[in-house]
Amino acid sequence: MLQTDRISRSFGGVFAVRDVSLSIAEGELRGIIGPNGAGKSTLFNLITGHLRPDHGGLTYRGRRIDRASPHHRASLGISIVFQGARLFRGMTVLENVMVGAHTWTRHGFWSGALRLPRYWREEHRIRDRAKAAVDRVGLAPWAGRYAESLPLGHQRRLQIARALCAQPKLLLLDEPASGLRAEERQQVARVVRQLHREGLTMMLVEHDVGFVTGLADRVTVLDLGEVIADGTPEEIREDERVIAAYLGEGAADA
Amino acid sequence: MNRPTFGYAVAALAAAASFAVPLMLDRSQLTIFILLGTAVIVTTGLSLLMGYAGQVSLGQGSFYAVGAYTAGLMAVHGLPTLLGLAAAPVLAAALAALVGVPLLRLRGHYLAFATLAVQLILLSLVGQFEFTGGDIGLRGIPQLGVGDATLIDPLAYAYVTLAAAALVLLVTRNLIKSRPGRGLRALASTEVAAESAGVPVGRYKLAVFSLSAAYAGLAGGIYAFYLGYISPGSFPVLLSVQFVVMAVVGGLGTVWGPVVGATLITLLVQALNSLGTMPGMPAYAPDVLSYAVYALLLILVLLFMPRGLLPSIGSRLEDRRAISPTRS
Ligand SMILES: Nc1ncnc2c1ncn2[C@@H]1O[C@H](COP(=O)(O)OP(=O)(O)OP(=O)(O)O)[C@@H](O)[C@H]1O
Ligand SMILES: [Mg+2]
Repeated sequence: MLQTDRISRSFGGVFAVRDVSLSIAEGELRGIIGPNGAGKSTLFNLITGHLRPDHGGLTYRGRRIDRASPHHRASLGISIVFQGARLFRGMTVLENVMVGAHTWTRHGFWSGALRLPRYWREEHRIRDRAKAAVDRVGLAPWAGRYAESLPLGHQRRLQIARALCAQPKLLLLDEPASGLRAEERQQVARVVRQLHREGLTMMLVEHDVGFVTGLADRVTVLDLGEVIADGTPEEIREDERVIAAYLGEGAADA
Repeated sequence: MNRPTFGYAVAALAAAASFAVPLMLDRSQLTIFILLGTAVIVTTGLSLLMGYAGQVSLGQGSFYAVGAYTAGLMAVHGLPTLLGLAAAPVLAAALAALVGVPLLRLRGHYLAFATLAVQLILLSLVGQFEFTGGDIGLRGIPQLGVGDATLIDPLAYAYVTLAAAALVLLVTRNLIKSRPGRGLRALASTEVAAESAGVPVGRYKLAVFSLSAAYAGLAGGIYAFYLGYISPGSFPVLLSVQFVVMAVVGGLGTVWGPVVGATLITLLVQALNSLGTMPGMPAYAPDVLSYAVYALLLILVLLFMPRGLLPSIGSRLEDRRAISPTRS
């Protein structure tokens, strides 16, 4: 599905991501863990196209996508749930999710402003799919509320719904459960698990190792921009380098 | 009454009033009505650009001028006046698309200053060229008409302006509730997230900038035909500032805000003008008064109703109605 080929990116001479080569299989749920500043978000930005690599490249579904813009990559099926809440303010929950439908619809300014047939054909489908996505994350009762008025946990799920409305083939989740209450984390975990069962390919970044290892097929550990370990959740939990670099002393017995 | 029904009722009332009002006005009042209509058209575009898409323009007067000169020049050279009126928004949009490519990379204050600079450059160019009539301007622009039938009556112009304003309001309302409209509103909050949701941010910004310029160009075309005379002095920077004040006072990010803002400011400026030109007033009184009032109004609105008149009043009304947990 996705291969990164020795991809690197530095800021002011310091590598945020260094020679990272990953291969994500179709239908895989890949966990990415690493301490603060390890380069996890930077890696995601390289995949979505918001950052350009200094060297290295990306192959997605058999084609090079190095030169594709972020919105083009989105229409190729790469969606992201950002770290923190990046919402569209002044728009309702449903409208926020409807924006995600940009990837599979076409009508532009003329059709929208003059309500040409193309507008009517697409608008209904956009609304239906968006409603389904809102339902799926359990936000239906909030659909008419302004996005910024939602509590944090709901905002995270809103972002997931927006990404789902784009009908992604590869979904990147950057700390979708951090800062949430236990019950909200469970909700997010439930949605992710179900998407995994349906065969969606995902990459999941989280600080909470338990959360990631409970969901992921494989886990990649980043530290200072480099891959320091890669394996099944069980292997990762036992890897000494990982314990030293990231999990810390107490985590080994936890 | 629920929200949409209330909205339609207000719209119907406003439409009926604006059709009836011109019949009751004398010649000089009709001129004010027509200028008000053109201001509504320009401000609607600016509110779309600033309020919905989050891009600032302090140079909307330049597109107004381009529309006016396009219509004026074509008509003076004997081309059909309707063609001139149709070309006015097209050329204004074309200029916006051209300067928009470098300009829209800028944000906030930088974009505001750059659009202001565009207007200053344009005005000085228009003042230099012979074919535009230089500083003296363009005189004897024929009346709008089809074949031999021409519009001489200001009342007819009032209805042309009204039709244009209605069209612009309808297009704007449709647009914001469509795929591209949602894309514009999204990119105003966060361009990064909008891009990742599939919104072609650069293309959309250019399109909305051009559309707002097209509105201004259309208004400029009407203005040129109605007055029959235009010069660089007709399009001062203060005009662009005035459009911004109208948009902000009425309420950015609303469809009807520009109508409220433009009406309020136009009437206020007229009142101040008659006050300033009363016997015994110094010659500079009208100018000073109108500058002072723009400033004062802007400060008051930003202090007490930062979202503008219409949204503030709207939410106050809503608070009074039964408070329900969901609004859909
Ligand atoms: N736009 C930027 N400009 C400069 N430095 C940056 C930029 N983005 C990231 N960095 C730096 O790159 C490194 C990796 O940052 P990144 O955000 O990818 O880490 P992360 O693994 O996501 O951390 P966290 O767990 O805190 O989210 C950090 O040292 C950070 O300061
Ligand atoms: Mg991060």
